[in-house]
Amino acid sequence: MSLATAPGRRPAEPATGPRAAGGWFLVLPALIPILVLSVGPLLYGIALAFTDAQSGRTAPTRWIGLLNFRDLLHDTLFWESFRVGLVWAVGVTVPQFALALGLALLLGQNLRLRWPARALAIVPWAMPEIVVGIMWRLVYHPDAGILNETLGTGVDWLGGLSTALPAVVLVGIWAGMPQTTVALLAGLQNVPGELHEAAAMDGAGAWRRFAAVTWPAIRPVALAISALNFIWNFNSFALVYVLTNGGPGGHTRLPMLFAYEEAFRYGQFGYAAAMGCVMVAVVAVLLACYLAGRLNGDER
Amino acid sequence: MRTRRLPAVFTALACVFALLLGGCASGTDRDDGRITLRYQSLAWQDESVEINKRLVREWNAAHPDIRVAYVQGSWESVHDQLLTSFEGGEAPDIIHDASDDLADFVYGGYLADLTRLLPERLKADIPPRSWRTATFGKGVYGVPFLQEPRVIMANRTLLKEAGVRVPDAEHPWSWPEFEEAARRMTRGGTYGVAWPLKDPVSATLNLSQSAGGQVFHRGADGKAAVRFDAADQYVPRVIRDQVVRDRSAARTTLSMGGADTLPGFFGGKYAMVPLGFSYRQQIVQQAPEGFDWTVLPAPAGPGGERSQGVSPQTLSVAQDSPHKAEAARFIDFLLRPANMVRLAKGDWMLPTGATALAAPELRGARHGWATGTALAHDLRPAPARSVRGYPEWKDKIATPAFQEYYSGAIGMGELRRRLVRDGNLVLARYQR
Amino acid sequence: MSPLGRGRPARRAATRAGQYVALLCYLVFLAFPLAWLLSTAFKPARELASLHPGWLPDHPTLDNFRQAFDEQPLLRAALNSLTAAASAALIATVVATPMAYALARRRTRLTRAASGWVVVSQAFPIVLVIIPLFLVLKGLRLVDTLPGLVMVYVVWALPFALWMLTGYVRAVPRELEEAAAVDGAGRLRTLTSVTAPLLAPGIVATVLFAFITSWNEFFFALVLLKSPGKQTMPVVLTHFIGAEGVADLGPLAAAALLATLPSLVLFAFVQRRITGGMLAGAVKN
Repeated sequence: MSLATAPGRRPAEPATGPRAAGGWFLVLPALIPILVLSVGPLLYGIALAFTDAQSGRTAPTRWIGLLNFRDLLHDTLFWESFRVGLVWAVGVTVPQFALALGLALLLGQNLRLRWPARALAIVPWAMPEIVVGIMWRLVYHPDAGILNETLGTGVDWLGGLSTALPAVVLVGIWAGMPQTTVALLAGLQNVPGELHEAAAMDGAGAWRRFAAVTWPAIRPVALAISALNFIWNFNSFALVYVLTNGGPGGHTRLPMLFAYEEAFRYGQFGYAAAMGCVMVAVVAVLLACYLAGRLNGDER
Repeated sequence: MRTRRLPAVFTALACVFALLLGGCASGTDRDDGRITLRYQSLAWQDESVEINKRLVREWNAAHPDIRVAYVQGSWESVHDQLLTSFEGGEAPDIIHDASDDLADFVYGGYLADLTRLLPERLKADIPPRSWRTATFGKGVYGVPFLQEPRVIMANRTLLKEAGVRVPDAEHPWSWPEFEEAARRMTRGGTYGVAWPLKDPVSATLNLSQSAGGQVFHRGADGKAAVRFDAADQYVPRVIRDQVVRDRSAARTTLSMGGADTLPGFFGGKYAMVPLGFSYRQQIVQQAPEGFDWTVLPAPAGPGGERSQGVSPQTLSVAQDSPHKAEAARFIDFLLRPANMVRLAKGDWMLPTGATALAAPELRGARHGWATGTALAHDLRPAPARSVRGYPEWKDKIATPAFQEYYSGAIGMGELRRRLVRDGNLVLARYQR
Repeated sequence: MSPLGRGRPARRAATRAGQYVALLCYLVFLAFPLAWLLSTAFKPARELASLHPGWLPDHPTLDNFRQAFDEQPLLRAALNSLTAAASAALIATVVATPMAYALARRRTRLTRAASGWVVVSQAFPIVLVIIPLFLVLKGLRLVDTLPGLVMVYVVWALPFALWMLTGYVRAVPRELEEAAAVDGAGRLRTLTSVTAPLLAPGIVATVLFAFITSWNEFFFALVLLKSPGKQTMPVVLTHFIGAEGVADLGPLAAAALLATLPSLVLFAFVQRRITGGMLAGAVKN
């Protein structure tokens, strides 16, 4: 856990002549791939959104200005998918945070069974997302699944129009718990123990102690992890791809899935890039509002 | 302004990085005069996989210089896979697909025009109406070789009990007769009909041809547009009426694939199931002993019109293949009448070739073969097949719209609005 | 004392009990899908087809594993995954280590931009990157090849690797390096004899973690690899879910289990270090 303290140290004196030149040499091997395969494609992708790039080589790619974005505006399916994406991202992020917080607090207590819980809470992190999806498909299976057997129902969870999205959201929550829990556990280590005891001596109840001592201490971590979770969830792909592939009737078609199909099934590269741009823009705006709101709350 | 530069710049940069990684990888043919062709087959039933592999072995034994490697593809992912492979220059030489999936690849310039590559024998053997399914503009981009009409699998016992006229290929039911029969067979725990419409679009569009439904129309400027008028609405209304009004069709099967309905069919829960001709194989394999079933032709339209849309399976050659002539020779070998019969039997489908279709083993009354072969001359190219953007229209717009319409969630007005208005927006993107 | 004082132990016991109940709920929620996967993998086909599946297989069998290998080229896929993940992990770590050193020890405009990128890339819109990436790799004829995938994985694993490694470098006391320099050791000597040994465990952890993320990765592999013989484990797993969504449940579960094992084992090794790395990042934020 020595790492926890490491970033606190102010490293680095300002670079001076010859040593700064050495910096280039160290940075270069990583910088080239980053520039070529990450920053470059990002810019290229933004440029693509203004073209009619398609698969096939018979038609040359042309600049078409904002035409893709105009089409997107009228594309009711895309906005429906966007709505699904937001419902999914919020529906996963919020309960995930609440549950992870609860678990982290419990794990912080001196309970028996803490060890298996800790191990179990980490396992989903190590599993391939595809396997998580497959596993839950087995659970939800209408005939051979354990869920219907336990509840005594015969519901086609992933195939029903009304149950598919909630069912998928539940899997999202399960799969993302570990990262959130671990981050919050880390945050909990910042909680000053003396303050807690002092508050307890003052007769403060559990809730008061949490609100007055624990929450302020883990707030920055909570903020960061929930924002990150939101982005990750909004961009998630593999889980839903295995669970429902966007079905039934597009009710779980996340925007990522939509853009993937547009690009790599139908070959509409330009149009798909435009979707990507819109997704990024909307998420950026939402996050900015969220973080700004929270930070303002801090200053009060 | 063109954006050609952009990829070039990044490509150059990325190449530097690739060199650092150990060099750009490239596939090379060994230069010993022997060539290897990759044949990607989508055969999936054990029987037909076996026959395909055996044909490849026979070819390889006879042609040591032109080896063919069998590659297994799958129907669910073939479109995505081919798109990526074409783009990446990794496509197989000989490609198995269906005629309604070819348009985007043809317009993308990825498939070779076979007009000059194919021998006269093959051209003459397959009738023009079948060739039309794979003709785009002036070129032919695939050899249609297997096709299946949609037929009605019926429980003969229940059919007799209901006392309805039993149709045959010459005297099919009209749609109202079919509705009446379904109503008569609906009693107790039995539904007259089960429509497995997990993939409702091609079923609906192909059956609609009997009522004159076309859905896709070409304007004077050559651009395709969707319409959904009275003739197109005829068959969808029948299906929905059966589900929602008459309750002679089971609602739960709407979200099922064909195979999922078979247990219910065997158990007497469904008296009739409209399915592709090839499902006979699964029925033969899985039906409990003593189960008495029969194959009925699909209903005819108001004017007695019996035609039905069909998208035959095709074999194409990749434009990028350096050995197109050899690939065409292999296709010719695969589709010799005797081999075509074997393929057809393996897939329980109808061959397109006239000689193969006349083969006695495909004309017996057993397992409904005779009924199917009698329908062959009524099969017409599905109008959708040559339309660019049809796959996207089908998956994104038509599939959910039809599903919701059949289940009663939306009405005809909304169905039409989605198919036409949203649909034409999609098509417009492909036809700028 | 006050009545409050007498009430406390009872209340505390109630709280404790509540906590145990809650923990138990968590345990069930976290464990039951895993248990079901395990149970399905060892069930014979007849039990799987039964309308009332039980929790435990009545006649446990390994048939599903054998069948899984028969149905799909699992061995090939595992080998592909291993190649891709191992090369990506090694290359990413080799490239990242010098940069992490620079990030931890120096502060120039470049290193600050790089640190910024590390943070931003956590929120990276992959959908916007994958299309151009695909087109670039296509230009290089690297689509549908493992080297192409490795290149993508390297870049994809870099941010977290940098993040972790920077933390490890900072944890190496600067004074040690300075002392060595005072003793007359050259810069290279200092790095190899002082810094490197202290950094070694961190580097190993980074390699392992990069390996796990690459092994588990699905999206890029799905887009870039299309030839049946080249696909990686997660992509091949999806082939078990066949036509019309009908899956052969037993072999599916068995294959899924096998695909998870390597990640799980390695994760057990690096778990503490990763949670540590995460912690460092979280505190930093």
